[in-house]
Amino acid sequence: MIDYQILFPFLIFLPALLGFVGCVIPKITFPLSVVMLLGYAASSLNYIGRDIAYQFTLVGEGGIQFSVDSYSFPLIFGSCITLLIVFGLFFKKFTHYYYQICLVLLSALLISFTTVDLVSMFISLELLGFSAFLLIADRNDRKSLFNSFQYLIGGGLAMLIYLIGVVQAFTFTGSFLLEDLVKAPETALCLIVAGLLTKSGVFLCGLWVPNIYSHANSQSSAVLAGCVTCAGIAPIARMSQILNPISDSMIVIGVISAVIAAIYAVFERDSGRALGWSSVSQLGIAILSPTYACSYAMQHGICKALLFSTLYSRKADENLDSSAITSSNNTPSKLSVTNELLRVIVFVVASLSIMGFPFLAGFITKNWIKYDIPYEAKIIYTTAALLTSTVYARLIFDRIKDFIRQPYARLVLNLPRASKNLSDLFSSSQNYILILSVVGLILASNAAPDLFTFSAVQSAIVSAILGGILFVSVVGIQADEFVKPVTRTLDLVGAPFLVAALLLANLIYLKI
Amino acid sequence: MSWLYLMDLTPEKLRLIPMVVLIVIGCFGLLNSKTMLRSLLSLDVIDTATISIFVLIAASAGSQTPIVTASRYSSYSDPYPQAIILTAIVIGFATQALLCAIALRLGRRSPMLRYRDLEK
Repeated sequence: MIDYQILFPFLIFLPALLGFVGCVIPKITFPLSVVMLLGYAASSLNYIGRDIAYQFTLVGEGGIQFSVDSYSFPLIFGSCITLLIVFGLFFKKFTHYYYQICLVLLSALLISFTTVDLVSMFISLELLGFSAFLLIADRNDRKSLFNSFQYLIGGGLAMLIYLIGVVQAFTFTGSFLLEDLVKAPETALCLIVAGLLTKSGVFLCGLWVPNIYSHANSQSSAVLAGCVTCAGIAPIARMSQILNPISDSMIVIGVISAVIAAIYAVFERDSGRALGWSSVSQLGIAILSPTYACSYAMQHGICKALLFSTLYSRKADENLDSSAITSSNNTPSKLSVTNELLRVIVFVVASLSIMGFPFLAGFITKNWIKYDIPYEAKIIYTTAALLTSTVYARLIFDRIKDFIRQPYARLVLNLPRASKNLSDLFSSSQNYILILSVVGLILASNAAPDLFTFSAVQSAIVSAILGGILFVSVVGIQADEFVKPVTRTLDLVGAPFLVAALLLANLIYLKI
Repeated sequence: MSWLYLMDLTPEKLRLIPMVVLIVIGCFGLLNSKTMLRSLLSLDVIDTATISIFVLIAASAGSQTPIVTASRYSSYSDPYPQAIILTAIVIGFATQALLCAIALRLGRRSPMLRYRDLEK
């Protein structure tokens, strides 16, 4: 029997250790990190859905408390799978420096998923912010540098607001534990929640999300969408489980975020920005239910990582980087039509999963949330689901149109090439990862077979079809005049104040 | 001065007032700055104010350094928040260093670092 008081801290700090070792010996980083991620994913998958909790304290009596429980396992699984997908699909582009950032990021994520201590949460979120900053600035042009500046100054301010809330709670409770927040005053709760919401990118605090996702490299966007925004979900879910006023306010904020961000996404013309807005909307849905928030964030993170990885054809992806990497000796002559077709198929499947199409992973998590929220929120939730279908109908349409326009697209129907196409399918390791992820998304729908009632399947299919029809009806609206990208620093920085004030008004006077 | 009694101001609360004023000044500066450098400095002001709040709250129990020596004092300050705020000081410093590095890079193209030029 292994002593898990020692095992769990070692497992949490192992990725950071591996990252720093990888700086000295770069060759071993990739195989070791893949083995480690696979191990983490497999062991956390084993515990998802079971009601197991391991508590441990880091430095003896009165030290920092951690709790590995049902909130942590789905998110650990989701982050590991996201990093595996990104490592596998883009490993030719990476230097060992990028692996180091990702591994330190994973360490920070593991801390933020497992800690129940407010100050450790602050430290892990700041570490996460620095890693995310380096990922955003990785493209290394003027606009991405400015975006990362905005992210860092907004995130730093949000964390200071959080810290003020923590110290006010400390004067009332005398400890920094999450469970002692029951005795804390409302102002402290508001400040803490506003800081966490900014980090997790829910609407009004999460205005930075679309700017950054659309401009960063595809691999950075995939990591940001899949892992970084999940970090705020676990503490919010833990808090709303024990604090009733917070869970009521989370329903209001989640519903507003889900609907408004989805409307923004419908009228957005740029695919990257639309995905960013949709991410804000999906995280708004995730915070509706404290029990299933982590599972929903996991499913959304994996699907978003796949979407961002396959958003552009591989050629366009390489052109995007050619400004940074001037070595033009890697001629893109090996672009086979099968690889591109596979990327389109993965994009479509991941979109359908987020739409909640039956027999995919998204259907399960969407229905879990749907049965868990109060009836009043359910109507708006359905509206948000419809708008999400519209967004993804447009994205799928654009992606397929983009594929058909390519000169090599008609090779797909060329029958004499069929055997060669089939052999291309199993030629590169990236294709295996894409196929495996699609199969995984389909297999995940077996997790809860009792959800496949006739009415649920029917409503999911009808919602997808309605989304398509709605897309056709709004495609003609010229929305460029009234949907402008929010780029002013003032708007990005001032949002946490506004949310904290609104929350305070809600908790003290309105009591929704 | 009757409003002071109405607000139930204890000495502990009175000591925090300058820090709250400092936070308000910092937020005002952050929301009204026209250049990157000013918002960077405003963030530092808020950072310092937050740290001072931690130190003052730790000192509300007493002002002696919490180190056990041969001579015992009656009132020690609380070591817990003080130990924790050390991390926040280091993190604030790291944030400032990263922001300065970004400002240096962006300053090559637009030396005034005005948002109006950078947000295009």
